[in-house]
Amino acid sequence: MTLATADLEYLRRARRGEFDWGWLRNSRSEWGVKAVPSKVGLRLQDIMIGTYGVVPDHAPQRTMAPRGADIDPDVPDMGYTINDKAEVWSDNLLGLYEEAVSRQWSATRDIPWSELPELDPDIEHAMCQLSTVLSEVEMVASDFPAKWLWRINHDFVEAKMFLCTQVMDEARHTEVFRKRALANGGGLGKSKAVVERFLKLILDAETYDEGSALMHLLGEGIVLSLFRAGELLAPSPVEKKIFRLCMQDEARHVAYGTMHLRYRLERDPSLAEDYHSYLDKGEEIIGMLFTTPEVVEPTAMLAAGSVKAAEELGMAAADVLRARVIEEYLERCDHALLPRRARLTLPPELLVGVRGVEGKVA
Amino acid sequence: MVADARERRDVYNHLGFADFRLAVEVRDANATRHYGLVLDGYDALYAGELGDLAAFRPDAVIAGTPSTWQDMMDNIVGNGGADGTHTLNALSIAEDPLRVRSDDPLGRDKFFRYAETLQTLFDSLARSRPVAA
Repeated sequence: MTLATADLEYLRRARRGEFDWGWLRNSRSEWGVKAVPSKVGLRLQDIMIGTYGVVPDHAPQRTMAPRGADIDPDVPDMGYTINDKAEVWSDNLLGLYEEAVSRQWSATRDIPWSELPELDPDIEHAMCQLSTVLSEVEMVASDFPAKWLWRINHDFVEAKMFLCTQVMDEARHTEVFRKRALANGGGLGKSKAVVERFLKLILDAETYDEGSALMHLLGEGIVLSLFRAGELLAPSPVEKKIFRLCMQDEARHVAYGTMHLRYRLERDPSLAEDYHSYLDKGEEIIGMLFTTPEVVEPTAMLAAGSVKAAEELGMAAADVLRARVIEEYLERCDHALLPRRARLTLPPELLVGVRGVEGKVA
Repeated sequence: MVADARERRDVYNHLGFADFRLAVEVRDANATRHYGLVLDGYDALYAGELGDLAAFRPDAVIAGTPSTWQDMMDNIVGNGGADGTHTLNALSIAEDPLRVRSDDPLGRDKFFRYAETLQTLFDSLARSRPVAA
């Protein structure tokens, strides 16, 4: 590409008052549209009006020009690789973006860190180990969208904007759990290879479809359930607030992932087998996570309250929670038009108590 | 609760806007009653007792026995807000004693998307009733 040179002749004409005015007189973009704000302000939904509200199924150009603008014919090709709307869109996208912006919070300001009580050392250790795992896994949900953002055509800018909110949300989750690990005298715990393998599977996904299924639907669905469990098991109101605030963000990402997959499969049902194969791989690693001490035992300890009580309680609480996690994941798959009950690859021993998969239980 | 959302606008605005229709179900052996709560933007609206649950079009229903609801409210009033085992999430995560249900998993997930707003609203019961000595 050759860089254009500065149009000094124009500059000289303009100095004489001989302006071009082409942008004023000859624009081919739509004039006369007027968006009406809603009761909470001017939302994305409110500006989807006229031709500006038409999102093409296939982007005609690969440019950063705003959709609906009058675009120069010689704009450079940005090299986007995701140029079909169905690859990133979901019907709830605009509302989720607005909600994400409205419901941002600060891990510095909104968590009452000074109210953290001194905890029994084993409980503190459990909380720090759980925080270590969560601080580790949350950042992939920033890295993955960031890796794909620049490949998404600007005609789907609302999808890109939503993914930007996710990048920020997950950065904050990484921040808040790192802060929790360091705020009460415990510090960071162990990082396990099996966790990293799942993160690598997401990060190395060959397509956005694959990574989104693994991350938005499977991984974040499970983390959402883990946040719910964390809110129940948290040793003090400080952690409870952390988990509730994180839960809100994570549920938005899962809502996008579920509805995005549904949007995708409604338009091309032949992709279902591809998605099944992505989730086959993901579930295999999730099965390993469900049997990893550093992931399982902190919650068992927090549920029981001590090492001794945890040993007496065994996996009773964890089994109930895991069953709900898997049920919620399967319900989301159903809603996304990708029923997985017959296809589930998790080991039968992990499916005890899961409703709707009775034939697969050992 | 609704009055609290009106009076402490700064608190609820800070939590962000919401879009959620929640039916609270109180059921015992003899009767089942439903009450509607609507989060609309920054507003919380009480829809009253619902004669027709379906007509209310809830995103989710949270169901429990009268004694469960009473225990939760007593805990909130007694502690100035729910303690660790009496938050909406804590009581519903194992589907017992409260259960969140929805025909649509995204409707149920909205219960989590607005968790902090909902808990703040329910905890406000402590502001309208005296905290136990």
